[in-house]
Amino acid sequence: MLIGMDVGGTNTDIAMVDDEVTSVKVPNTLGVRQVLGRIRRPGRLAVSTSTPLNRVLAGPPMKVQTILIPGPGLSWPGSIRGAINHRGEVVESIDREEVDAALSVRGDVLAVAGKFSVRNPSLEQEVAARALHHYPEEKIAVSHHLGALNFPGRVATTRLNAKIRETVTLLAKEIGAEYRDFFFFKGDAGLIPPDQAVRNPSVLYRSSAAAVALGAFYLSGIAECLVVDVGGTTTDLVPLSGGRPVMETLVSDNERTVTTAVAAQSIPYGGDSLIEGRLCPTRVGNAIAFGGDRPTLTDALNVTGCGIGDAAASRKITPSTAFEVLEEYYSRVSRAVAMHGVRRLVGSGYLAPFLVPEIARRTGTFVTIPPHWDCANAVGVAISRVSLTLHARFDSGRGVVVFNGEPQELRKMGDEEAVLERCKEEVRQRALAAGADPRDVEDVEVLSFHAYDVIRGAYRSARIADVVVQIAPGITAEAP
Amino acid sequence: MRTALVFHPRYLLHEQSREHPERRERLSYTIDQVREEGLFDHPLITNLTPAEAPWDAAARVHIPEYLHFLEEASKKGGFIDFDTSIPPGLLSSALLAAGGAIRAADAVISGEAVNAFALVRPPGHHARPGTGAGFCYLNNIAIMTRHVQEKGIRRVMILDWDAHHGDGTQQIFYDDPSVLFTSIHQWPFYPGSGSVDEIGSGDGEGFTANMPVPAGTGDESYHYLFDCVIAPLAREFSPDLIAISAGQDNHFTDPLTGLALTARGYAELMKKAVLLAETLCGGRLVAVLEGGYSVEGGLPYTNLGIIAAMAGLDLSNIREPEAYHGWLVRAMDPSAHAKVKEHAAALRANLSPYWSCFE
Repeated sequence: MLIGMDVGGTNTDIAMVDDEVTSVKVPNTLGVRQVLGRIRRPGRLAVSTSTPLNRVLAGPPMKVQTILIPGPGLSWPGSIRGAINHRGEVVESIDREEVDAALSVRGDVLAVAGKFSVRNPSLEQEVAARALHHYPEEKIAVSHHLGALNFPGRVATTRLNAKIRETVTLLAKEIGAEYRDFFFFKGDAGLIPPDQAVRNPSVLYRSSAAAVALGAFYLSGIAECLVVDVGGTTTDLVPLSGGRPVMETLVSDNERTVTTAVAAQSIPYGGDSLIEGRLCPTRVGNAIAFGGDRPTLTDALNVTGCGIGDAAASRKITPSTAFEVLEEYYSRVSRAVAMHGVRRLVGSGYLAPFLVPEIARRTGTFVTIPPHWDCANAVGVAISRVSLTLHARFDSGRGVVVFNGEPQELRKMGDEEAVLERCKEEVRQRALAAGADPRDVEDVEVLSFHAYDVIRGAYRSARIADVVVQIAPGITAEAP
Repeated sequence: MRTALVFHPRYLLHEQSREHPERRERLSYTIDQVREEGLFDHPLITNLTPAEAPWDAAARVHIPEYLHFLEEASKKGGFIDFDTSIPPGLLSSALLAAGGAIRAADAVISGEAVNAFALVRPPGHHARPGTGAGFCYLNNIAIMTRHVQEKGIRRVMILDWDAHHGDGTQQIFYDDPSVLFTSIHQWPFYPGSGSVDEIGSGDGEGFTANMPVPAGTGDESYHYLFDCVIAPLAREFSPDLIAISAGQDNHFTDPLTGLALTARGYAELMKKAVLLAETLCGGRLVAVLEGGYSVEGGLPYTNLGIIAAMAGLDLSNIREPEAYHGWLVRAMDPSAHAKVKEHAAALRANLSPYWSCFE
């Protein structure tokens, strides 16, 4: 049994996938423990949780203290002494008094990032260790786990991670108390174990949009399309190409991170959008048809002849208002859909059969509403597979191999083929240890490979290799 | 866009032999540094991927007999001199390097970028019309210069600051008054040419300016030469484009040379060149990588400084790690500056009949 859970703004969607798909929608007000209690079945649980993270960022502003160790090169404000060079050697050490003085000016959370820390994390670790006197561990984020070279990108990612790390840590504990082994669903549509999500929670961003994309593809089998997901507060457009969502670099506070996430466009109107003379981009509660006090887009659909929920209760708005607000919704969404220039739409979300066909008509596109359209997001989470990226740096001169920012002793390096095979095996073993199905780790993609000799005094003294391998996101072999 | 970086992953692959000074490792640390600084992802910087230069573009500089020789030797490997052998597949690598210089120039001419840096390998400035030499096969900067002249740029000023005299480039433009060739280089040193008396011939007389400097020459002297020779010449020549043969082997850590320029010195020198280009030719400046063999200790810092200066970024933290200080002190020769001034005076005297700024 594959269980997928997508925590949304108001409700949590749960899908259980074996030979058939069953789903439930539970209000978030119940709390995580109660929601998990509704499942009560053994199986592999995966959780998508981007909406609660958005709420943290939308909440009261957090003061992120940022301590940077840039060393020689471009200038950065908030820098302290200390430098790692491109080989991963400490060439300037940290001044502990300076670190302590910097830490005495406290923020709410702390981000620590050093240039080339992905080749040697020791300076970042030293600062983080001293910071434990000032911050609890879950409020400190460091950059070396991110693995990739791109200091400004890692700074932006680490600052974002500092803000949401505590929330993700708590969530992981809460879910872990009910389901010992579970996965988080990422914004690139893959799964990771909770300890990795806690280290780099930025990868959880946009996971709801990624869930919709993967679920819509799994349920419809359509590889090239635009998924139109009609939710309560928003309508999201997610392009699919080759059965995979299109990826882009995540931007946080106007700064580019090193995290990639699905490209998705969010239009601020959905089934619960308030009608107050006209359609408003706000949600105050359920539609009247579902026990709310004030009319929404869902009630407008009922007035025009749809039978959704307690349709009779929706009659509080006049037919002319209903047609006007629907017209506004259709024209806004159709305009946005037309910009994508696609030939086929796949509709998902509870209201998809009522709204998406008209959008298709207006944009001259084909439309498919797949089975289980109302829980495509949770299905997407359920049928995803473990996806890991491994950044490896071999340096035989230093006798070190660094995997995702963590150095290990390198005893024997071997030729290029041996290096590549070792990286593939490492990422496979990590995925299996995390609980991946063995069939899902057979294909390892090589994203980059570069190897060269280090020459000192006209002799080859060492060899260096930089490798990035990945088990790509996708649908697990366990999915029926 | 302010600055274009031209780079191709194949620039990391060319290698005459695994131990050769001009090897894969040379650019690898620089690319690491540039990537880590986020410059491949910077709002002021655009990344361009070059294509191989067309045969015709190379043929504007090199004789057909030499190009055919390279083509033949590239099939199974060959030999030019003890520094310069021909590994299989060389012609394609060399054309891609020349193509990088062309791509950089096209970006600057079309306005895609104000200035551009082609991080190419193999280098080019020792290559003459009929032969390669000193790690060079095709003269990238000369091929680029002829290419832009074909596109309507009339006067090009070349500043060759590689530690070795750009003898190939000098020879190609020696009698051509449309190209002002200026070079600062260690002297006496490989390749042996580059004295203050070599000032061009025929119509090109007065359009070659060599600034030989002794071992141990540092930042102060380079800036002196820029201010007292290069800038006045440039103002009077009034180029439509400034091209820089950017050899990073003047750095005090370079194992093949004996100069003492720092990363910051390089960056400030490029900043002056950028300002000069802005004053004289709408900012059009193309830098093409030449030598530089302090692959690990120097190149990452110097190349970063050059790019930062081209993009107009803050240069205050462009430096080497602190532990390098003793190295710099050992490389500097305090008596060098007096000799530099002496040579500069001789050069100005030699050029005074041709340039009113030196009268």
